[in-house]
Amino acid sequence: MKRFQDLVLGLHDYWRGQGCALVDPYDVEKGAGTFNPATFFGVLGPRPWRVAYVEPSRRPADGRYGENPIRFGKHHQYQVILKPPPAEIQDLYLQSLEEVGIELRSHDVKFSHDDWESPTLGAWGVGWQVWLDALEITQFTYFQQMGGVDLNPVAVELTYGLERIAMVLQGKESALDLVWADGVHYRDIWQEKERQFSIYHFEQASVDRARAMFDLAEAEAKACLGAGLVFPAYDHTLRCSHLFNTLDARGALATAERESYIARVRALARQCAELYSASLEHDAQSPR
Amino acid sequence: MPNLLVELGVEDLPAQEAGLLAEAFRAAWVEGLRQARIAHGEVRLYWTLRRLAVLILDVADKQADLVEEVRGPTVAQGLDPAGQPTPAAQGFLRRYGASPEQLVRKKVGEKEYLFLRAETPGRPTPELVSDILGQVFRSLPCSKRMVWDDSGLAFLRPVRWIVCLWGSKALPVQLGQVRGGRETQGHRFLKPGPVTLDTGEAYVDALRAAYVLVDPEERAAAIRQAITSGEREHGVQAALDPELWARMVGSVEWPVGVLGQIPRESLQLPPPVVVAALHEEGKFLPFLRGKEIAPQFLGIAEGVGGSTVRAGYERVVSIRLRDAASFFEQDRSHRLAERVPHLKMIVQEARLGTVWDRVERIRAYSRALARALGLDEAILDRAAYLCKADLATVMVREFPELEGVMGGVYARLDGEPPAVAQAVEEHVLPTARGDELPQSPYGGALSLADKLDFVAGSIRIGEMPTGSRDPYGVRRRAAAVVRLVLEKRMRVDLFALLEAMDGLYPPAVPGATVQDVRQFLVDRLRGALVERGLTHDVVEAVLSPPRGDFLGVWERGQALSGMRGGEELVSLAVGLSRVRNITREHPGRSYDPRLFEEEAERQLFQAYQAVKASAHKAVERHDFGEALRLLLTLRPAIDRYFDEVLVMCEDGAVRANRLSFLGEISDCFLEVADLGKLVLSSKGEQGS
Repeated sequence: MKRFQDLVLGLHDYWRGQGCALVDPYDVEKGAGTFNPATFFGVLGPRPWRVAYVEPSRRPADGRYGENPIRFGKHHQYQVILKPPPAEIQDLYLQSLEEVGIELRSHDVKFSHDDWESPTLGAWGVGWQVWLDALEITQFTYFQQMGGVDLNPVAVELTYGLERIAMVLQGKESALDLVWADGVHYRDIWQEKERQFSIYHFEQASVDRARAMFDLAEAEAKACLGAGLVFPAYDHTLRCSHLFNTLDARGALATAERESYIARVRALARQCAELYSASLEHDAQSPR
Repeated sequence: MPNLLVELGVEDLPAQEAGLLAEAFRAAWVEGLRQARIAHGEVRLYWTLRRLAVLILDVADKQADLVEEVRGPTVAQGLDPAGQPTPAAQGFLRRYGASPEQLVRKKVGEKEYLFLRAETPGRPTPELVSDILGQVFRSLPCSKRMVWDDSGLAFLRPVRWIVCLWGSKALPVQLGQVRGGRETQGHRFLKPGPVTLDTGEAYVDALRAAYVLVDPEERAAAIRQAITSGEREHGVQAALDPELWARMVGSVEWPVGVLGQIPRESLQLPPPVVVAALHEEGKFLPFLRGKEIAPQFLGIAEGVGGSTVRAGYERVVSIRLRDAASFFEQDRSHRLAERVPHLKMIVQEARLGTVWDRVERIRAYSRALARALGLDEAILDRAAYLCKADLATVMVREFPELEGVMGGVYARLDGEPPAVAQAVEEHVLPTARGDELPQSPYGGALSLADKLDFVAGSIRIGEMPTGSRDPYGVRRRAAAVVRLVLEKRMRVDLFALLEAMDGLYPPAVPGATVQDVRQFLVDRLRGALVERGLTHDVVEAVLSPPRGDFLGVWERGQALSGMRGGEELVSLAVGLSRVRNITREHPGRSYDPRLFEEEAERQLFQAYQAVKASAHKAVERHDFGEALRLLLTLRPAIDRYFDEVLVMCEDGAVRANRLSFLGEISDCFLEVADLGKLVLSSKGEQGS
């Protein structure tokens, strides 16, 4: 049987073979692999870029106290960026599923229309949710814009939902029952954390302090932007995004206020993208 | 003549949009060939989510020759006095390689010009196809365009291959980086790889052999068969809606029906929840047994059925329904009424405040409606208070189409009075999807309050629909207002109601007033009356003056329509037009019958006195047919009056007295309709 970790290693192996740099998860809380600088900055500018990594993604509002079979406040994405995308990208993706043990000939596989958009990142793209027997297992997106900047060339982002794919591979009804490693189940590692974080985000988190931390992180991001320090500025932008998610899960934001928080994060993300893009014009070898 | 096959191979199109895009593809080819002057026969359209194709039969080998007259300089400028071409005309001739003998004189307007007949011989069709393809491609309407490489092409999804066959010959066409050829692609999993086509006619069969049904009718038939066999096997009826059907036909190249089972415990959920969970994203088709949800569901798989797919489907359904069950449980942890204060946190349209504010306005409308319609104010107010509470439930956040439905379910479970629960459930009707109206009087009144607030609020903040642009659905709701009033027979003065509620709204944007709301609703009413079979002139007659009692307008229209064609009405209308015209500038209505001088005056006065009170009463009880019949008896007296009485006489006092009297008669008729608006030609009488 494919253990959870074998699935990760299988994808690493496959995408390494396609010329991807394998990088680590980024060490600031974030809602999706897209927020990792390897994607946010990597898709900007003209240089080709192929990268793959696992990203633990925190979405406080999706927490279910560790009691739901597929909903978690933190889940694991496997993220691949291909810039520019090769013409046979759909086949390359399908091949990766075969590589990790999904026999496509015995499943119903559909590319179901789903255009992706991140209002906080000022990013959008078009593409699909990939359905495996009606289960969404991957978000497949042709990015068109990031941080409000048009992409040239465009990039393809593949975001695999690792828990869901592992459930198919292991024939489990609940992600909690997944075998992570020999003798180690998903629930052993994550269930108590899910419970505590759900309590924290839904019941415990101090709204006032979260607002204050948002304001501080925003101020810090702005100060860094002013000093031309785009990467520290972006870290603080990520913190703002996560604090916004916390406030949102806590039910602390009325609709209009919610919009204004999103606009504040988007403004920071846009300035990061613009500052980075400007630096690319000066130095074609600028770091990613 | 050869056939032309063009297939555009694309990455998966949105299932709902593929069919529309295909129709546009066909239309664009027809138009492209017309513009290129290429004759052709039938155009067959084939499509799946991965391809758009036309097979055009009997295409002419070359385009038709173009003969056109081109205009040159005027005769005065082009010919010298000797009739020889000037330099201007010589240049014109050179441009078309023509000689002076070919010049023709023609008058255009006042001036005479020199013309040439220019003939452009038609080019061979194969040389033109590539350009037409480019033109077709650029003209296709997409909901959203993307770029995928540096070719500069933008489309709904990337283009990956092109087949272009002229008879048995592949034409060298190109779009961006993709070159045309004779290779199409088989089914992604069942027959991966290229399929080589010898001719266009082989297209449908060759792809069927490669597990692709390119004819949407064939896919529809296969899906229909899967549904029917499920229905027969289990004695159930499919709960199919057109949107789901379009998605099913659009989402696969080789449909395979897979029947699954819903877990027993999930069947305890309210049926609309189960339907919503299965319908979600067009995934599954639910079945009903009577009014109950049947334990079966159907999915349409892409090419592969079997136990793995079935097990996968059942897992997805089971997880989603367990989700729904947990939403249900969470929502039930509080009474619906306790959710109402949460509406202060929800904003749908910031310029109109929170949903709580909207509920307060709906309650104000409801109170007025309860009084007007003789409904129990407490029941309607309770329903109004609760009607938006389900927006604060998890279930409606997850399944927005259950708005109203869940409110009704939760209200019932909370033990709210049945009339309250039903009104909450029905207040969203008619929805964007269906045209069903509320059944209960409370549901009808609450729906009317909801729609009126929506329309009035939207127009006041400047969201008046224009042309076909109506992003918020204001026009749809205004049409619902009219339907509710007419079909649920609600006797209410909408003008007075809107006027009374005007203070509930924030200051209107410049140019938007309660008058605009009135006018917008009257326009919808006008359309609705015509749709219901009233002629335009009858509609104008009963809308003059505009009345807030829309039901009364409809009843007047029916009464008037019933009398059309009668001689009486014709001559009465003529007489009344004179009354109207003559009294238009005269506001006074008090008169003294003793000042009447002529017998005809006294006779009309008596006739009028005889019917006045009963006509009024008939209007009051909305029996407009009777009111019209009574007023019609005045016709001979009115005719005689105008034959014998000179209204505009010398004596000012007598004249004013007569005008006031006639003014009152005119007013009396206007309570029913302005008969002067009727089209009275005999043709109009019979033909309309």
